[in-house]
Amino acid sequence: MDWYGWCGKLVDIDLSRRKIQVIPLELDIMRLYLGGRGLGVYLVYNELTSGIDPLSADNVLVFATGPLTGTPVPTTGRFACVSKSPLTGTILDSNCGGRFGPYLKFAGYDAIIVRGASRTPVYIRIADNVISIEDARSLWGKNVRDTTAALRGYGSVLCIGTAGERLVRFASIMNDNTSALGRGGLGAVMGSKNLKAIVVNGSNRPRVYEPNLLRYRNADITRLLVASPVSSKGLRVYGTPVLMNLINYMKVLPTANFRRSTSPHAYELSGEHIHERFEVRLTPCYGCPIACKREIRSSGMEVPEYETLAMLGTSCEVTNLNAIIEVNHLCNDYGMDTISCGATIACYAELNNLQLDPKTLISLVHKIGTRRDVGDELAEGARRYANKMGHPELSMDVKGLELPGYDPRGVLGMALGYATSNRGGCHTRAYMVGMEIFGKPKLIHRLSWVGKPNLVALLQNIFAAVDSTVMCKFALFSVSEEEIANALSAVTGIDFTSEDFIQVGERIWNLERLFNLREGFTKLDDTLPERFFQEDTDIRRISKAEFMSALLEYYRARDWTKDGIPTYDKLQALSIAGEYSHVA
Amino acid sequence: MWREFNKFGKKLVQYGLTHSHFGNMSVRVGDKMFITRSGSMLDELDENQVVEVHLHKPTSFDIIASSELIVHREIYKNTSALAIIHAHSPFAIILSLLTDEKEIIPMDSESIYFLHEIPIITGKVGSTELAHNAADALKDHKAVIIKGHGTIAIGKILEEAYVHTCCVEHACKVKYFVDLQNALTGRL
Repeated sequence: MDWYGWCGKLVDIDLSRRKIQVIPLELDIMRLYLGGRGLGVYLVYNELTSGIDPLSADNVLVFATGPLTGTPVPTTGRFACVSKSPLTGTILDSNCGGRFGPYLKFAGYDAIIVRGASRTPVYIRIADNVISIEDARSLWGKNVRDTTAALRGYGSVLCIGTAGERLVRFASIMNDNTSALGRGGLGAVMGSKNLKAIVVNGSNRPRVYEPNLLRYRNADITRLLVASPVSSKGLRVYGTPVLMNLINYMKVLPTANFRRSTSPHAYELSGEHIHERFEVRLTPCYGCPIACKREIRSSGMEVPEYETLAMLGTSCEVTNLNAIIEVNHLCNDYGMDTISCGATIACYAELNNLQLDPKTLISLVHKIGTRRDVGDELAEGARRYANKMGHPELSMDVKGLELPGYDPRGVLGMALGYATSNRGGCHTRAYMVGMEIFGKPKLIHRLSWVGKPNLVALLQNIFAAVDSTVMCKFALFSVSEEEIANALSAVTGIDFTSEDFIQVGERIWNLERLFNLREGFTKLDDTLPERFFQEDTDIRRISKAEFMSALLEYYRARDWTKDGIPTYDKLQALSIAGEYSHVA
Repeated sequence: MWREFNKFGKKLVQYGLTHSHFGNMSVRVGDKMFITRSGSMLDELDENQVVEVHLHKPTSFDIIASSELIVHREIYKNTSALAIIHAHSPFAIILSLLTDEKEIIPMDSESIYFLHEIPIITGKVGSTELAHNAADALKDHKAVIIKGHGTIAIGKILEEAYVHTCCVEHACKVKYFVDLQNALTGRL
């Protein structure tokens, strides 16, 4: 059959048996899950049985592009990776820019599924229809920059550093040095399989069903991206550090492990200050006109993202910009999530009553990346570390995933989004930054619960679908699901309405929930650290009664029971009623 | 500061001079300005809905300020205004759409006394064209009408800008009904 947008096949690689298969995909499945996060969740849900060790050969890694990846639709040079998280035990998806996604598509594949584990270090090489498993013993022990340099002649390089090799539970996978599959420990899963890297190159562009219509749809999207001050004036000028001064002004900046929510030193880590101090060069992802990523021209070091500045900076009470640039670079080179790394160090500092300085912070990052000394305990993540030390209340996480750079006391939609996130404490599931911080597409009151449960559920659905196309979330500051559904229809030749698109997201969200329920998670895990219910900062603590009421309203909005379990009718409406037996 | 915004924001909505999340207000203080946030409702303003931005230097706060920030900046740079109100007053919009003239001459004595003529300018929302046209016209006028869009009024304080906003709408309302009556009775 003719495929448009999709390639219609995936690569199945069993590292235990060194077996490589190219498997055709079914259009019906792609219509239901699109690709990217959706396809990955579908495959991981069906491949895994409950209770497997995420760091065993039983786990799988799915790298998946979407129908828009590598097409001319703006901001779609992305792909997703899905697995069971070694940090949280939940389903885990992560989303990445760079070039790997488009190149995989150009090679002719929608996805790669990696199963089993190799006895010795290997890497996978894909160049169109030539796929091989190669010896990586000479690469083992190298960090990301050296590994990427060694393999970049073969195409776009996706690899782990020593953090992934040593099973740091928040190890990331890096694409072409600086783009990260950041959260939840996907790098450790790769390390557990003795898989050092995947390098891909391809020579065929995906086919588009209606190229002329797509040009028209793309003009629509580009016009909106240019018109929105967030994308054209904020992210393009300052990158994500544009958020630092805004978040501090709104009194939701994590400071001292969320004991405070403003920092007098925020400006030193702000986009404005970075601009004053350094000449920067834009390093955009493939096909992205927003171009939020950047590096310092003189040193070639990456400008840290806002989340890094907040979690390794103000949350650790180290506001020396040079130090944060250095630890950001180190985290990328070791292959570690900067959010979890910063949050775990902040937890360590509070627990041991330490005032960190730049030198100590840098030293701790080295120790975690190599699992040396105290780094070995911190490499387990904040929750395991705090539990081990007898102070579970000092880990600022949800379901084991450390919270990012927004204090939930001052952004209540975000609070509910954190608590109900299927992968744990994450800001990008409902991405309430748009409405509660930027006021895009509509400014809503961030200290009110009114309307939030419905809105959080809707946005979680929309972003699950966006993550499956795979488009950048930042585009959603400017464009709506309507423009994306229109582009999707023009690319695939299948008519997607906005409602169809949102329903895809809802299906994915429910399947993720079923995965977590199957793993033993319950409504008790849909909560926040007690600190946010008990301590005031510049913003008052969250009322637990109001939070619980909002949570119940959220379950109702999802047609779930009061225990947070999807009903049979809901699953039937989403064409996944067959999975009801897992939760009945 | 935000209480002043709150007071005149409520009055603007209460008297039908703007509604929903349309319209914006600002006050200049030295090289800074306080301006309402993008998407804020003028009758619900609190301290979180007014942001401080630099007059000459763009900062990260620009992206949460009103989308007409560029217009406010240009007006402050080119006129003696210290306060600006942009409203979507209905009769001003209607009259601007009914005429091909470049200005409206008020018929009532109060408005002609305060405003003289009211220029009608053009330009898309938040555009540099609109910013230049508004700043240029407001060098020697107290208020302008953006064709099919709304009003911009200036003053030394918000209250004065509010008075000018009311005056424009009053002038347009009077002129609309007089013109209508004249058309109905054939007195044109």
